[in-house]
Amino acid sequence: MASRYRLGFDVGGTFTDFMLVDQETGTTFLNKCLTTPDDPSRGVMDGLLPLLDRAGVGGDDVDIAIHATTLITNALIERKGARTALLTTQGFRDVLEMGTEVRYDIYDLFLQKPELLVPRSRRYEVTERLDKDGKVLTALDEDGVRAVAQQLREDGAQALAIVFLHAFRNAAHELRAAEIIAEELPDLTVSISSAVAPEIREYERMSTTTANAYVQPITRAYIDTIQRRLREMGYPRNLYLMISSGGIAGGQTAKDFPIRMLESGPTAGVLAGIHYGRQMGIGSLVTFDMGGTTAKIALVKNYEAAKSNVFEVGRVARFKKGSGLPVKVPMVELIEIGAGGGSIAHVDQLGLLKVGPLSAGADPGPACYGRGGSLPTVTDANLVLGYYDPNFFLGGAMSLDVEAARKALETQLGGVLGLSAEQCARGIYEVVTQNMLAATKVHIAERGEDPRKFFLFAFGGAGPAHAYELARLLHMRGVIVPAGAGATSAAGLVTAAVSFDYARSLLGRLDRLPWEEVRRVFDAMAEEGLQVLEGAGVARDAPGVVVKHQMDLRHKGQGHEVTVTVPADVIADGQIDRIAEIFYATHREKYGHAHENLPLELVTCRTTVGAAAPEIPMKRLPEATETADVAQKGTRPAYFGELGRFVETPVYDRYALRPGMLLRGPAIVEERECTVVAGPSAGLRIDAFGNLFIDLDEAPIAESKEARNVETERA
Amino acid sequence: MMNVATSREFESITLWIQWSRLISIMDEVDVALVRTSFSTIVGETRDFAVVMLDKHARSIAQSQMSSPAFTCSLPSATRRMLEDFPSSSLKPGDVLITNDPWICHGHLPDFYIVVPIFHEDAVVGFIATAAHISDIGGRLDEFDARDVFEEGLRIPPSKLYDGGVANDQLFRVLEANIRYPAQVLGDVEAIVGAGRLGGLRLGDFINDYGRDGLDQAAEAILDRSEAAMRAAIAEMPYGTYYGETACDGYKVPTYIKVKIDVGPDGVVCDYHGSSPARSDASVNCVLNVTHAHSLYALKCSLVPDIPNNEGLFRPIRTIAEEGSIVHARFPAAVKTRSKTSYHLHNAIYDALGPALPGRVQAGSGSFWSVKCFGTDSDGTRFAVHVLPNGGRGAIEGHDGQPTVAFPGNGTITPVEIIENWSPMVVLERSLRTDSGGAGEFRGGLGQSIRLTTLDRAVRLTIRPDKIRFPAPGLGGGQPGAPGELLLDDAPMALEPFELLPGQVVSLNLPGGGGFGNPADRDRDLVSADVAAGLVSPEASRTLYRHDLPLSKTGS
Repeated sequence: MASRYRLGFDVGGTFTDFMLVDQETGTTFLNKCLTTPDDPSRGVMDGLLPLLDRAGVGGDDVDIAIHATTLITNALIERKGARTALLTTQGFRDVLEMGTEVRYDIYDLFLQKPELLVPRSRRYEVTERLDKDGKVLTALDEDGVRAVAQQLREDGAQALAIVFLHAFRNAAHELRAAEIIAEELPDLTVSISSAVAPEIREYERMSTTTANAYVQPITRAYIDTIQRRLREMGYPRNLYLMISSGGIAGGQTAKDFPIRMLESGPTAGVLAGIHYGRQMGIGSLVTFDMGGTTAKIALVKNYEAAKSNVFEVGRVARFKKGSGLPVKVPMVELIEIGAGGGSIAHVDQLGLLKVGPLSAGADPGPACYGRGGSLPTVTDANLVLGYYDPNFFLGGAMSLDVEAARKALETQLGGVLGLSAEQCARGIYEVVTQNMLAATKVHIAERGEDPRKFFLFAFGGAGPAHAYELARLLHMRGVIVPAGAGATSAAGLVTAAVSFDYARSLLGRLDRLPWEEVRRVFDAMAEEGLQVLEGAGVARDAPGVVVKHQMDLRHKGQGHEVTVTVPADVIADGQIDRIAEIFYATHREKYGHAHENLPLELVTCRTTVGAAAPEIPMKRLPEATETADVAQKGTRPAYFGELGRFVETPVYDRYALRPGMLLRGPAIVEERECTVVAGPSAGLRIDAFGNLFIDLDEAPIAESKEARNVETERA
Repeated sequence: MMNVATSREFESITLWIQWSRLISIMDEVDVALVRTSFSTIVGETRDFAVVMLDKHARSIAQSQMSSPAFTCSLPSATRRMLEDFPSSSLKPGDVLITNDPWICHGHLPDFYIVVPIFHEDAVVGFIATAAHISDIGGRLDEFDARDVFEEGLRIPPSKLYDGGVANDQLFRVLEANIRYPAQVLGDVEAIVGAGRLGGLRLGDFINDYGRDGLDQAAEAILDRSEAAMRAAIAEMPYGTYYGETACDGYKVPTYIKVKIDVGPDGVVCDYHGSSPARSDASVNCVLNVTHAHSLYALKCSLVPDIPNNEGLFRPIRTIAEEGSIVHARFPAAVKTRSKTSYHLHNAIYDALGPALPGRVQAGSGSFWSVKCFGTDSDGTRFAVHVLPNGGRGAIEGHDGQPTVAFPGNGTITPVEIIENWSPMVVLERSLRTDSGGAGEFRGGLGQSIRLTTLDRAVRLTIRPDKIRFPAPGLGGGQPGAPGELLLDDAPMALEPFELLPGQVVSLNLPGGGGFGNPADRDRDLVSADVAAGLVSPEASRTLYRHDLPLSKTGS
């Protein structure tokens, strides 16, 4: 038997999730075990060996192993990276500390900025200077670099970032400085800005390159360990890692650019959404991953995740834009909202009920966990509202204490507000929904999109309990809760393809740029990408290999750029008018207008090179021969805001639901890792793959014969 | 329609749901404006505010990053515009505009644009935007105007659109009087478009809650906020507090004096005794702006967490002598009024130290304005506007941050962008050692910027601040280092000048003031500052009385 299995494993903060899929049949095997933070590779082996056993598969049967990890994000947040130094152009070492000079909160006199990754005493300068076109104004002082090497040695630095002004136009000085450092200090890891983030704006480039340097030593050691343990288990091939832009990359690329692995687990969740969407023929999704502490939202349009070229790590004021370290890497754009099952409710100074961003986390957790938590959380509210079964939490592995939840609501909130526990619970549900609604709306607006065109793809422990209400208030097309919502990220991993994104800034008016240079920049990026593919065993002319070119353009004088995709032949032939047409059309579509009389300015060239996504069949389930009644476990009273009261609500077993079954809201569907809550205007159906759809407009279902049957049977 | 909640539930739950939704509408408007704006001053340096007003033109919500001072003057300016164009006379598609400094925000580049929002033919609210646009004609220099007529075009309250039809005459007048009409008109269009989007969203809100629902929410937001502000004021000991501060002015310094009465009826900031308005410089500040900056300082100290709205302003009054530097009379020159207004909080925090322990901030180093004009090698004109910041003042418990503005909040244009847009070369941007005012909590450091030009002359207009008078310390803290403006290492005049190839202009921006006695500073922090080169060994001995062994590397 050929190696036909794909393996994905996602090391998260609490759990490590595994998925093994047979790429010929689509048969999947899942596992979940506790993460072992002291040595994550131990947890990986703990979960992997039994999984392979269960599937009757040896290490050698695995065609590709793909990994996502929180290691990079955590090392940055917890400041557990290497002792890092910076070498920059004479006169500019403080740029890292001065940043953008903006206060992220305009009314907070006590606002704090994030702690720097490189303190001033380890920021070195050397004489050298390029001009805006990359021409040398002052030669690199090589002796100066050697002197810095000496200081680095004395200081015990473990990693170095080299960032020179305008190096994105000419890498020669950075490369030469790195070479000298390597001669002097062969064991020091060095990151150079022209390789890590060759984009204009020195502060962001410096912040990105220092962050890369900061996590490089631990990432190298970590990847080597995981690779070694996989080898010991019999897997002879290369380990692949999920990167932030939604592709996967080989171990060496990941070691060179560890910063590209930020948020790899959540990114895999978005990819899963795209994969499921393909099977269902739905290309426009908002993925919604709500866990214990946060909710994460991403936009998918035409089967492609919306991307962003900048991200912030470790915000000091939770969830406040501008309070973290900026990192310029291509990322699947995820917005993080301080809303999760553990988010704590409180009464603010105006006497208003607020929820989050503080979270009770997993320990002590919500009051209903009975682990000593006494503060009311979203989970406590959901329990009191009848959404969760106290005896079937995590499939019954844990029981919840309704009385403790009620008591927390009454004592912490009810007394102050003069409201009952139920009223407080309703308030918490409404407020946390509003928090997510506001953030999602603004995010969708930022992308110039309309929520009414999207489905909500809900997963995570708390996502399916809040998805109906969120989608209803956003007037979305419907909700999808995928089969196996508990291992969604691992599902995203096994469906990912080798892909990498490149960017080079090249500023100038489109009609005055030396076009040979534009062409050269794009060709170089494409070539680099194709070589990476070849390194991963994908021939450059293999079917499905895509080279996508993009330009960040703006009207001259405008502050913001718009990224547009430009066909390769248009670039090759220098068809400036065609590029302008594409830009104006995109600008009009997004913002309703474009100024065709103003010249255009190019800021950054971008190229993505990717292999075809693997075609993995999804296993079809047998069609139902009975109605959904056979899956009903019972009923319980649950509260629905649309009705303004508690109603006796049928509860269904997700695992007993079969394709073709139709349900009417209100309904509750329970599975091990989550509970789906659907309100009164919902119609629910199961598709051929076992995915659950919630239609928000009840009409289509009411019109169908089956739906009427369901209704009459229930009546 | 949404469910009708009990009054208790409305009070504690529904009100916040509605309020948060109104704020999120304004965040959407903000995002739309940033994304569609043309000039960097709106798009990147965010010198604008978007506010939602109720049908009585009282502000009830704003975007979270709205520039604070504008938000205080938008409601009163809108009400003034409605005197000329009463609500009852407005129709859907109307848009109002003015930039009158005495109605708006004290100088001509600030455009106030108001989009009335209709529901079934009645005005239900307004989306009002204030934005600093790139040019308004008039003199290029900063200070020298003798009256407002020299400073550019003044637009009285006017209809920019009438029933959806553009007021062509007005657009043509604008176009004929400003230097970058494409940028300015692009921004104006973006503002109107964003305002209309806000109107659509407010319409959705009304569909869910009804017009009465909006009115009820507006009253509750205003009343609840007012009550919270009054409660915060009531925690201060009642009494009269005096403060003052000195401002560089232009050729002659000016002084701000404030007497703050804190009592059961609220707070009165009385600026009698401040310097008279200047007839030889544009540093004059209108009362609107004086009031706005007084409100801002008080909100930051008293109720920083409450979303901004006009209810918070109700208990606070500002009075001043007409014809003074803080209550300039028409037609005084007002272009550089921030040379006065940005110092008002220093006088207020100077006064309120005893009343608000732990919640007053030492003076901050100010932003400087650097404008660079010229013609590039290919014949195109360029204009680059850079706004570097000095250090922030310290507050009890925290050092001031380096190069962070207060009360302004602008971003610095990157060196690589400056060099791409102009022939200038930036030789240095670094923290200024010893510029942070000494104190138990040290002031933030200012920065040194050195500029030159490679192959062609550029015209520079620089507006520095705190050269004459440094940012004051508080609670026994020392002032920050004053700023310095040097041409080839010699002090220079403030008039616009040509920077010739080979010449170097140095901008040494002021540091923030310190808080508390420097001798009380944690010894480890002094050592760390010396090791990092933020404080010199000499200053650590003379100012902090700290005898350290000389640092090994000095870096």
